[in-house]
Amino acid sequence: MSRFFRGGSDSESESESDFSGSEDEKPQKTADASDSEDDFDNDESEDSEDEADAGAAGGAATGAGRFKRGAAASDSDESSDEEDVKRVVKSARDKQFDEMRATVKALGNAKKINDWVAIQNEFTKLNTLYGKATAIIQREGGKPPRFYIRALTQLEDHLKDTLANKEATKKMNKSSSSALTVMKQKLKKHNKTFEKEIEEFRAKPVEEDESDAERTAAARKAAAEESDDEENKDPRSKWTRGAADSDSEEEESAPKKGGKAKKARAVEEGEAGGDGFTLIGKGGKAFEATPETLFKKLRELLEARGKKSTDKVTQMANLRKLFEIAGNPFQKIKVLLVLIPSRFDFTPATTGFMSVDIWRSTLAEINELYAILEENQHLTITDVHNDEAEEASDEIKANKGEPVQVTGNLGSFVDRIDDEFTKSLQNIDPHTIEYINRLRDETGLYAIIVRAQKYFEKLNAKEYSDLTKMRRVERLYYKPDAVVKKVETEVRTLYPALNEVLEEPAELVAHLCTSLYNMEVVDRIRTRALLCHVYHLALHDRFHEARELILMSHLQEHAPQTDIQTQILYNRTMVQLGLCAFRCGMVREAANALQEISASGKVKELLAQGVQAQRYSEKTPEQEKLEKQRQLPFHMHINLELLECVYLTCSMLLEIPNMAANAHDSRRKVISKPFRRMLDYNERQVFTGPPENTRDHIMGAAKALANGEWQTCRDLIHKIKIWDLMPNADKIKEMLTQKIQQEGLRTYFFTYSPYYDSLGLEQLSSMFELPIPVVYSTVSKMIINEELHASLDQPTNTVILHRPGPGTEMSRLEYLAGVYSEKLQNF
Amino acid sequence: MAQYDLTSRIGQHLDRHLIFPLLEFLTEKELYPTEDLLKAKYELLSQTKMIDYSNQVYRQIHNLTEDDENEPGYADRRDLALKRFNELQDETAEIMNMIQDPNVIQQLKQDKIANVQFLKDNFGFQPEMLTSLYNFAMYNFAVGFYQGAAEMLYHFRILSTDYEQNLSALWGKLAAEILSLNWETALDDLNKLKELIDQRTFGSQLLALQQRTWLIHWSLFVFFNHPKGRDGIIDLFFQPQYLNTIQTACPWVLRYLTTAVITNKKRRNMLKDLVKIIQQESYKYKDPITEFVECLYVNFDFDGAQVKLRECEEVLFNDFFLVATREDFIENARLFIFETYCRIHQCIDIKALSEKLNMDEVEGEKWIVNLIRNARMDAKIDAKTNTVIMGTQYQSVHQQVIERTRGLSFRSSLLASNIEKREQELANRRKGPRNQRQQQSGAKDAEVAAPKEVEAKA
Repeated sequence: MSRFFRGGSDSESESESDFSGSEDEKPQKTADASDSEDDFDNDESEDSEDEADAGAAGGAATGAGRFKRGAAASDSDESSDEEDVKRVVKSARDKQFDEMRATVKALGNAKKINDWVAIQNEFTKLNTLYGKATAIIQREGGKPPRFYIRALTQLEDHLKDTLANKEATKKMNKSSSSALTVMKQKLKKHNKTFEKEIEEFRAKPVEEDESDAERTAAARKAAAEESDDEENKDPRSKWTRGAADSDSEEEESAPKKGGKAKKARAVEEGEAGGDGFTLIGKGGKAFEATPETLFKKLRELLEARGKKSTDKVTQMANLRKLFEIAGNPFQKIKVLLVLIPSRFDFTPATTGFMSVDIWRSTLAEINELYAILEENQHLTITDVHNDEAEEASDEIKANKGEPVQVTGNLGSFVDRIDDEFTKSLQNIDPHTIEYINRLRDETGLYAIIVRAQKYFEKLNAKEYSDLTKMRRVERLYYKPDAVVKKVETEVRTLYPALNEVLEEPAELVAHLCTSLYNMEVVDRIRTRALLCHVYHLALHDRFHEARELILMSHLQEHAPQTDIQTQILYNRTMVQLGLCAFRCGMVREAANALQEISASGKVKELLAQGVQAQRYSEKTPEQEKLEKQRQLPFHMHINLELLECVYLTCSMLLEIPNMAANAHDSRRKVISKPFRRMLDYNERQVFTGPPENTRDHIMGAAKALANGEWQTCRDLIHKIKIWDLMPNADKIKEMLTQKIQQEGLRTYFFTYSPYYDSLGLEQLSSMFELPIPVVYSTVSKMIINEELHASLDQPTNTVILHRPGPGTEMSRLEYLAGVYSEKLQNF
Repeated sequence: MAQYDLTSRIGQHLDRHLIFPLLEFLTEKELYPTEDLLKAKYELLSQTKMIDYSNQVYRQIHNLTEDDENEPGYADRRDLALKRFNELQDETAEIMNMIQDPNVIQQLKQDKIANVQFLKDNFGFQPEMLTSLYNFAMYNFAVGFYQGAAEMLYHFRILSTDYEQNLSALWGKLAAEILSLNWETALDDLNKLKELIDQRTFGSQLLALQQRTWLIHWSLFVFFNHPKGRDGIIDLFFQPQYLNTIQTACPWVLRYLTTAVITNKKRRNMLKDLVKIIQQESYKYKDPITEFVECLYVNFDFDGAQVKLRECEEVLFNDFFLVATREDFIENARLFIFETYCRIHQCIDIKALSEKLNMDEVEGEKWIVNLIRNARMDAKIDAKTNTVIMGTQYQSVHQQVIERTRGLSFRSSLLASNIEKREQELANRRKGPRNQRQQQSGAKDAEVAAPKEVEAKA
């Protein structure tokens, strides 16, 4: 019944339909199988590749000769076994086995003439046949036929001999040598499945006495039949494994498999992979002869990379072991070049960033890589593809100290680890300790960047050194001096070989950036370097230099054409420049710099500091995802509330006098729309409570300023808590007081001048607590700019106000008449 | 006053030979110790071939009075220089003879290549001769024989087609002309050089910047000595690329520009731009002259302006280029102060004003009266209170409206006539080609009518 079941489950094997194999043939096979079972040797220490059993190979050869005869039995030309042919009506089993034997023979022939292409073909054929015959084999106890194992063993030995004979290998023609390498890998993989059997075979190469086998078989038969059910699963899976293995190479029969088989296969494949790696893992012993086999293993692992079945964790562990084993620098580099990318591969999809531990070990490994490279100047890494086959000779050369190039991209590692760091910061909640701990890793990262930069500079790899320089600048530009200094000193302890002079932070940034302004540098990097430079200058309150730099570069015109990352940086720079202008007391400049971004209503998005929920947004998930990727890590953020506060304060100082000056037509010249809107909203409210947030404070202050109550305005502005976030908060408050006084004076003039004939300068000066010269200069400026129709009377020290009629304000009608006539004139 | 001295900054952008006049000037003014200046001069000279001069300075430094006490190696160097000079002279004798021949000069044309060919065919001219001419000219310059150098370079430029050498020859010629005080030709050369620099696209921006910086500095010699120079300096420096150069490479040139603007009555309109630039650059460079402008036009701090004006006087006195402009500058600066003052004030105390103008009271009153007479100013002096009373310029809204609409009636009539004309044209066209002749005459009539109207209105 199990047979039926099996048949049902397997749609492929044609032999399944015909299972009337003659009973008398069966025992022999079973005997073989049970024999092997008897001799089952648990000790696997004798690796299949071990050279030790050369003698066994000899024995196998004789056995093979004998067996070959047996194999030839199916061949009608062979006279000795002719009877058999005649006697037995060929069953399906025989047919299968005969075919296999024929293939084995052909394989032997091909072996003799060392034709690896033929060997490869025959081997493939043999495996296909074996696959077909599996059903029969399983029926007979699940052991592969002995001749098959023998063939495999011999093939393996032969392969080893050939490989050992390097000269012969070199002499081979191209197709043949490539076939050889293919075979090497295939066979190794394949034989792993039959490890046990091969092991047994090697232990007992000579065929047991037929009769003995028969006897044992008879005795066993009952037992075999009894345990058929249990066994059934196991051997079948064994078959599947074989098939699967050949599948992974040929991938032709896979799609035809039934659902259940497929499932089993999947499981098995995983196991097979696991098996293989446990073997290596278990085998410190397997690496006893490491320097020779290292590259082979490495390549194996390399091939497994990226496959679905490969378990990344074990792979990393294995590579790590390989690295420990690797003897000379060349090998170490080779292993690291595989290990580091495989670490990067291991990014769990759920969190979207590399786990911190792995990141750290990767960092350490990159460090090691650089250390090796720095020590061994003759080894260089290029991204030009080299022929892998030259490994051995390269290694020799490397050991001799000759210059050798290894394939790989060193710069990308630094890029990648940097990106991963940013990614992890984006994903970690910034208000946890985890985030702070993560930030601590930045120093190590920075050290690596500096190290890479120095290394590339030494190599004269301009492109990469520029890139790493840029990375370095991007890690520095937003940090205050103290932090930069700390980081720089840390780097010197982490990376003692650094011979750079410890510069002042501002100089360091300037120095790095200027070196990137060269025309040869890629445009994007130059732009970014410039922006970082400007940002840094602005951070240090060096407004004029920063402005000059940004004006000279004409970046404002080009900014919209750059990529989004650069645009974000540009926005950040402009905001920082605005804040800087504000700190320096340049209100108008600050307002101009901040206008574009603050008035947009999309501050968060423009600065990449979070996504604003918009009511009518129609964003696809991809867009959202992209946007999320662009977000800046929290520690780089510019305080948005402070930004708003600064912008509104600047707007107030500019807008209130402006509104007062254009009292008749306040809609005409609007400096800051958001400010106007807020003020309107505030005025419409029936009841205004005491100010609570920053915005309320500023609105209240604005109203007070408009009424000429500059003290109230000053008090309200000073009450805003956020000023404390600024360096030198007291100085800024002082500056603000002064500005408020001046603007208050101007507003006062605009609002109340129609009601006065003359105003004493002393009186004004005491009203606004300003020194007389300042009042004088403010009034003079207004007169010259024709904002105020007045003139000064020197002997009495008063301002005389001119007006059309006696004591009347210009009416709205008069004003409109003026505007109208002006418009007519320009008609 | 030494802190406002710009010689060291300017010197970086000048030729060795051009610095000598500056040093001479400084020695005269005694701003620095004479010994230091002599040493500096000696340093400069040691790189040139002016061996006699160098020796003279050497002797001055070391207080050598005897005739035979000379700089070490003086005789050898002198002989060597003379020998080289003679060699070069011999080499170039042929070509000089050839070129200075009036017959030849007559036959030369605009086309350089044709000229070279012509000389080759008729006079056995060799291209190598040109090179030796160039070398000789350079040597002449190095020796200090500027006129000869200028002449030779002139001839060289006629024939040479090599761009680089041409440019260098032009620089050399400009320097030679400046040093031989031929301002007219120097100005020509300066303009040529400017064209050459502007036309050329330099490999790097930096190179262009450098060339312009040089030109700016060298031109100071010409502009402050040539009678038309003060217009020229404003025209040149206010060109955007030169303004940028000044702002990026040499902000101290603003002093000269400011002086030029203040002393130039015709270019008043530039003042606004100048104030803007001075404000922008004030964090980088300031001296009493720019500060004066800032005080007057940015802060309206008349007391400050007056203090600065006094400082300006001294600075100007000690500046090689600006000594000659001192009087002019003071006069014009006063005028500026007064004008601004008048615009702000209604009633001015003459005493206070005189103080601000840096004059005593009587002199001040005279000055003001002259000004009122000449400048058609709406002002009167009240002798009793000793004040100047300004006429108010304020117009009422009605006046403003009337003023603005005055032109309207004329403009509307013009508009109406134009519309009429158009109408008529259209009507004629509708009538068809039959009446074409009529239409033409009609159009002419309309045209004649319009100017008449204009006259009537005017």
